[in-house]
Amino acid sequence: MKSGRKEINKEGIAHNGNGGKDMLKAEHLSKVFIRTKLEEETVKKGKGFKKKSVKEEFYAVNDISLEVGPGEILGILGPNGAGKTTLLRMLGTLMEPTGGRVVMEDAEGSLITEPVEMKKNIGYLSGNTKLYHRLSTREMLRMLGEIYHISKEECERRIEEIFTVLDMKEFGDNRIEKLSTGQTQRASIARCLIHDPDIYIFDEPTLGLDILSADAIVNFMKEQKKLGKTVLYSTHYLEEAQFLCDRILMIYKGGILKEGTPPKIMEDTKTENLRDAFHVIMEGADEA
Amino acid sequence: MSTKRIKSLFKRELTDIFRDKKTLVMMVLVPLLLYPLLIVAMTLITSAVMTDQEEKIYKAAFYEVEEKEKIQDVFEEHEKELSYQLEILETENPEKSLMDKELDAYVTAEEKEGRLCYSIHYLSAETDSVTAADVLYDGLELFREELRKEAVDDLGLDENVVLYPISYEKADMSSKEESMGSMLGSIIPFLMITSICLGAMYPTIDVTAGERERGTLETLLTLPVTNFELIMSKFLAVSVIACTSAFLNILSMMAAFGFMFSFFAESVQNLSFDFATFVPAILFSVIIMLVFALLVTAVCMCVCIFAKSFKEANNYITPVLLVFMFSSYAGMLPDFKLTAATAAVPIVNVTLLIKDLFSFQYNYGLFAVVLFCNVAYSLLTVMVLGRIYNSESVLFAEGFTSLKIFHKRSEMKQGQLPGYGDLLLLLCILILGIFYIGSFATIKLGFLGVLVQQLLILLLPVCYGWYVKTDFKKLFSLKAPGLKGVLASLCFLAGGFCLNLVLSSVLSMFLKDSSESLQAQFDFLLQAPFWAIVVVMAVLPAIGEELMFRGFVFGTMKGKTSPVMAVLMTGFIFGCYHFSLVKLIPTAFLGCLLAVLVYRTGSIFPAMLMHFANNFISLFVSKYQEQLSETYPALMNLDFGGGQVMVFAGMILAGGIFLWLGWRISRKKESSLINEGMI
Repeated sequence: MKSGRKEINKEGIAHNGNGGKDMLKAEHLSKVFIRTKLEEETVKKGKGFKKKSVKEEFYAVNDISLEVGPGEILGILGPNGAGKTTLLRMLGTLMEPTGGRVVMEDAEGSLITEPVEMKKNIGYLSGNTKLYHRLSTREMLRMLGEIYHISKEECERRIEEIFTVLDMKEFGDNRIEKLSTGQTQRASIARCLIHDPDIYIFDEPTLGLDILSADAIVNFMKEQKKLGKTVLYSTHYLEEAQFLCDRILMIYKGGILKEGTPPKIMEDTKTENLRDAFHVIMEGADEA
Repeated sequence: MSTKRIKSLFKRELTDIFRDKKTLVMMVLVPLLLYPLLIVAMTLITSAVMTDQEEKIYKAAFYEVEEKEKIQDVFEEHEKELSYQLEILETENPEKSLMDKELDAYVTAEEKEGRLCYSIHYLSAETDSVTAADVLYDGLELFREELRKEAVDDLGLDENVVLYPISYEKADMSSKEESMGSMLGSIIPFLMITSICLGAMYPTIDVTAGERERGTLETLLTLPVTNFELIMSKFLAVSVIACTSAFLNILSMMAAFGFMFSFFAESVQNLSFDFATFVPAILFSVIIMLVFALLVTAVCMCVCIFAKSFKEANNYITPVLLVFMFSSYAGMLPDFKLTAATAAVPIVNVTLLIKDLFSFQYNYGLFAVVLFCNVAYSLLTVMVLGRIYNSESVLFAEGFTSLKIFHKRSEMKQGQLPGYGDLLLLLCILILGIFYIGSFATIKLGFLGVLVQQLLILLLPVCYGWYVKTDFKKLFSLKAPGLKGVLASLCFLAGGFCLNLVLSSVLSMFLKDSSESLQAQFDFLLQAPFWAIVVVMAVLPAIGEELMFRGFVFGTMKGKTSPVMAVLMTGFIFGCYHFSLVKLIPTAFLGCLLAVLVYRTGSIFPAMLMHFANNFISLFVSKYQEQLSETYPALMNLDFGGGQVMVFAGMILAGGIFLWLGWRISRKKESSLINEGMI
């Protein structure tokens, strides 16, 4: 199992034509947070309103199961606070689920459940994964290479390759604090690439980027799909999701509201595009 | 665990810290500049003040003193010996002049027991006034000398025979290095500990709260590293910085001291000393300081890890550093010596050891103990750190959410159980309460004071529980005990009694107990009527201490950790509460037994019964000691000292059987355990 993945690693990004073989599976995932809820209640005797807060268990993610395989882009959509980030954090094994589990299944069908082992094969990127400002991209990648146990020569080769692919040669040796937003985002992607994972988990990767940088990231995801990698990503840009995703998962209040390919979802809701479909589904959910 | 991963993470942390200009300034520039500037400033100020004092003319007056002229003559004659100049003024109202600062001091005279008594009036709050009074005092002494000489002359005697039959002088036999060392030994620990703390503080905040504030923590979590590796790398990086900082501090300090001595060497001769004699002391100090830096780092990290931001981390770390600095002050206390016992006390042991080293007392055994203790404490703290860091509430944190009392009362959930934070807070309040209110009441009110203290212990957990709207039944295990509970309680009482007797007598071989002061305490109490003593010393503790320790402490912990841990911690806290090293182990043992009783029966009342009976028996024995000795001499004069191994073994066996019986009797059904959420 381990040796199998190492071979893939040695093949490098560009040559890795046959792509990843691992499946990412979530089984009945749920995550409970304790949160304080402010409730306004009317107090009698003309005292007006009184705020009362109640501690309650809150299901950020409630019993979600999913499966993504090689060569697939799964889009996760939902309004703010739907549980997208929590779900992705659990899938990326950053956070321990309260219930259920996340497993990885390799080509031979054996399961990987150890978070540390799974992380070796996941590239995770979100708005919260900032980079070390005081290092340059090259230094950061070298450090990561050591942590992922990639040999020195291999690591240097891969850094050159990543720099070419992401067009980072100009600023690869600058400190990250000196980079622009788009450049920083590319550096972040470089971070996810260094260990050549089979699964990418991107939490709103195009948020706040200009069209060029956003397109670069979208193209990157398409490339990875062609290479047979798995991509899970969440976004608020529905047009982007419509033509990029193979499958869409709409979540709301911690549960799955709708699942299917973009054409299927539009057909079901009798709409022309994903944006309208989203509105229809959300309205339906609120009514229910 | 992969050392390679730790190494690369460690390298990254160091690069990161070293590229931060603020850290570099704190670590390198501050110590390098601080000591020289401090010492230069101190020397300059001191010499300025001294010259000022020497040049200053102090104003004094003699008010209604007959021999004024004569005294003034003596003052003028001995002007050189008196080192300060006095100006004698006339005054009508000396007291007012003194208050108005027109005078620094004045002298009055009155007849007392047939001779003149001079009083020097001065203000001890005014430095100038104190100096003036000193000069007047010395002057009057010279005047008396003068009078004596005159009297001896008048009698026609030889003053050398009558007044000065012998002469004496002090001769300092310590070498210059020794006196130097004793001076250095009292300052250096304080300076070094302070500098290590300051050196460790900034990087610690940077790698913990700073990491979170900059948003790189989540990035770290995406890497295939375990939390332990993460913590280790951070710990090592900060330790390196703290050690470097300490090292730089020492260097800077030595340079600064060197400067100071060369400065003084010009004015004072013979101050040159052999620096080489201090080399071993310095080397040993460096070793112990490096190890100590590990402990400081670990403790600082434990605290900072909870902080969400730099600001919060600063708030948390300040009291910790104050504790460190105050403890380092212990070395300056004169009669505080490094012994086998103090060698185990963190921080204090380092201070005392360095003090010893600089007095050229190389006790290698104690050195090893101090070294070992510091390493052990550091490791322990790092382990705790690893535990804390694993928890998600810290990683994606909200800070100290377990402290229920800081929420608005109206927002509290009915029937909640307190958290660890509440427990800690309540124990702190308890310590403060006993320290201030309890001891004050005992001193002022005597026997009634003890009552006040007991009521305090009773009311504190109840009030706290009421305030956080806790479920009293659940927290304090308020449940009817049943016959089995009472039986179990009696078995535990007997078992605990037997084992504690053995334990105490074994312990008394190692620890010199202060049984005299214990006896004194009892005597003072035994003056009250016996029923009152029983109420205050047996009934109230049985209720109050049980509610506090087996109720609040054990109740808070039992659902959050394993039962064994909860029992042990309850016992330990109960032992500590007795504020006595001798009592610690026996009371902790009793505390554990009581907690087991509560755990097994699910009710606090058997524990109260056992506690009451236990206290009652010891009170009864002390009260009727003499009568009992007469009736049952064998029982009262148990002497375990001389080879009574059989008695020992018998007691242990009996104790064990009783405890086993109690354990069996109190066995409860699985279902009831599940109901209480203990399984």
